[in-house]
Amino acid sequence: MDFKSLHFFFVIVTVLITTSCAKNTNFRSYNPIYKLGDHPEWAAKDWDDRDWSNKVFVDGGEIFWSRTKVNITETPKPFEPYGVFINTFGEYEVFWDGVLIGKNGNPGQEADHEPSGELWATYHIPEELATKGTHVLALRTSLYYYPDHSRKLRIIVDYYDYLLRDPLIDTSFMHMFAGVFLIASLYFFFLFLSDKKEYPILIFSISCFLFFALIVIEYINHYISIHYSQHHFRLEIIGSLTFCIAILVPLYFSLQFPFPKKRSIMIGYIGVLLFVFLIVHDRYDFTAYNMGMTMWFFSTSIVLYGVYKKIKGAIIVLLALLLCALINALTYYDISLFAGFGVILLGMFYILSVRTKEQRIAYENSLVQSTRLRLELLKKNIQPHFLMNTLTSLIDWVEESPQKGVSFIEALAKEFDLFNKIEDQTLIPITQEIELCRTHLDIMKYRKEVDYLWEEEGIDYNQKIPPAILHTLLENGITHSMPLDNNSILFRLIYETGNTYKCYTFLTIANARNNTTRTKEGTGTKYIKARLSESYGSKWDFSSETTSLGWKNTIKIYL
Amino acid sequence: MNILIIEDESRIAKRIERMTRDFFANTLLSLHHVEALSDALEFIKNNSLDIVLLDLNLNGENGFDILSSAVSESFHTIIISANSDQAISAFEYGVIDFVPKPFNRERIEQAFNRVLLKEKTESHKVKLLAIKKRSRIQLIPIEDVLFIKGAGMYTELFLTNGKKELHDKSLEKLEQLLPHTFERIHKSYIVKMSEVKEVIVKPGSKYIAELKNGEFLPIGRTKYKNLKARWL
Repeated sequence: MDFKSLHFFFVIVTVLITTSCAKNTNFRSYNPIYKLGDHPEWAAKDWDDRDWSNKVFVDGGEIFWSRTKVNITETPKPFEPYGVFINTFGEYEVFWDGVLIGKNGNPGQEADHEPSGELWATYHIPEELATKGTHVLALRTSLYYYPDHSRKLRIIVDYYDYLLRDPLIDTSFMHMFAGVFLIASLYFFFLFLSDKKEYPILIFSISCFLFFALIVIEYINHYISIHYSQHHFRLEIIGSLTFCIAILVPLYFSLQFPFPKKRSIMIGYIGVLLFVFLIVHDRYDFTAYNMGMTMWFFSTSIVLYGVYKKIKGAIIVLLALLLCALINALTYYDISLFAGFGVILLGMFYILSVRTKEQRIAYENSLVQSTRLRLELLKKNIQPHFLMNTLTSLIDWVEESPQKGVSFIEALAKEFDLFNKIEDQTLIPITQEIELCRTHLDIMKYRKEVDYLWEEEGIDYNQKIPPAILHTLLENGITHSMPLDNNSILFRLIYETGNTYKCYTFLTIANARNNTTRTKEGTGTKYIKARLSESYGSKWDFSSETTSLGWKNTIKIYL
Repeated sequence: MNILIIEDESRIAKRIERMTRDFFANTLLSLHHVEALSDALEFIKNNSLDIVLLDLNLNGENGFDILSSAVSESFHTIIISANSDQAISAFEYGVIDFVPKPFNRERIEQAFNRVLLKEKTESHKVKLLAIKKRSRIQLIPIEDVLFIKGAGMYTELFLTNGKKELHDKSLEKLEQLLPHTFERIHKSYIVKMSEVKEVIVKPGSKYIAELKNGEFLPIGRTKYKNLKARWL
């Protein structure tokens, strides 16, 4: 539940941060008009520009002018000057009502100079010129790089301080936001290094890092000067980062909520995403938005499948994705992209925490299980049915034939010794297991006075096996079988290997007790299965069946 | 004496057999040994027995399955088992003795003597009386029994709900098993003392117990003294 409130908190913060700049404007600007050529008088406020056009076509490097009518609706407060923020391509000089108020690069001389000036620039408007009423902003521009790139001239008139400060405030908040993802990225990367099989952790770490990079690159223009010629490069980076995130997020969900035909569906998705990425490549924001939408729809489908399959955590992630859709519906492009990604990453984070918890519980259970199995193994020799019956028989042997009694005690001592040796192991050499079985048969011979025989076939003496599982099969065989007419019961252990498996077949050759019901799973079978799971996970098979000769147990271990 | 040993450990079975023969000597009429529950049930059905010696864990099968049928029979059951933690439940079912493994000659003979000398069980833990119904065994909680009347080889259990059930054990054998709250008041009657409302003395030294439900039961003259000493 903590994560839910965390989601909520982040969304609210993000929305607040990004909307804090909304403010009533105190100016109105008209569409700019252009003219090719270079005349200083074109800067004048009263110049007759009726023959100017809405567009200008340049080959690259030559001077052209633009004039934009600006209507200031409110006189600035005393000693708080206005400024004008300009966002346009090219290097230019800025004239306000005919007065030169700033210079951005070297218009007309770009071919001879290094690129200078920046894409986003703010200029101070002299106090006496910032009066209420109509003004003209004239730019003497040249466009040497990307001359065919049509880009609108965007201007904002506001208090000069505000124009400088406000983007930095936004940036600082967004960088704090980015920092969270950088830390998360590093933390989960280190976590991955400690367990290199956990690919979801790696994907999450990379996604966090890419998101961090995306925010930084998006906001970097507020504190680093970017020349208009570098703008495309920056947008390419943003597009590529978005593209990578749009691949990684569904990939992550596909690992957490597996679905059939994963590989081909993922390849199909990447194809679609590549199409979206390349089709209208020069409209960067539009492409990024479309990639975001594609990612959202695909991720939501995966998570819906997860919900359908009742996979833990799927519902919370679905809610996060729906929250994204809500943010998208309520806000505009930039916010929906960042808040949306942020919420999705938090959803991924939540899933990771759910999985981590599951793993921890599974690990704790495995510890408990190991302890339980160890106790069960130890109990085999001290459980009263074995111990007291053995001791009763032993007393009888001692009374009747002390010599045989001694042999009996020796066999018993040997079995106890073997159990002590294997007690804390999860795998023991097959030789030890066979010795355990043989010793057990020695003891049972004295107790049951049946001629127990042991045979082996094809045993690879270098193999290992979980402790006492053959011993358990042997005990079952003794309990549930009646001797043949010659008062014997034969046990035969056969070992076979194939390309993908190794197999132990344990045969009991005897008369089955007609009334014994072995349909329900006994503690012995449970022990064997638990031991096999402990050592081989799910890569094993155990079967038990009657044959014409007695019982057949098969333990198959897959490589 | 007709005795059956139900034991799946051959060596132990032989040991019990040897000790039984030694103890009963020429009073032993028959002695049989079976290994499996099904054989045991079959044997009990077809033979008249005095004592059954039963191991509770046979070839991995639960001996309690056979115990309820064994104790519903006329003979006494002695448990010989490795699982001494089952002793209390066994006594609740109404066995005469529980011999834990490993055992020696003295312990076995003590159990036989308990049967022969008609001693009461030490534990008095019997909580259930098993009676044979047509196709099953019914267990009657001991607190539901008001009094028991001897009827030749059998006994009749009179229950709190007014019903009457037939038990295969004789009055003597039940007396051995029943707890101290039950008293033999007559050669044909055992009664739960808490159910006795009054003892009425009639002329000619005739004693009658009036029960809370209004029934009257005779009290034997010899039993009266004993009863008076303990209860009045």
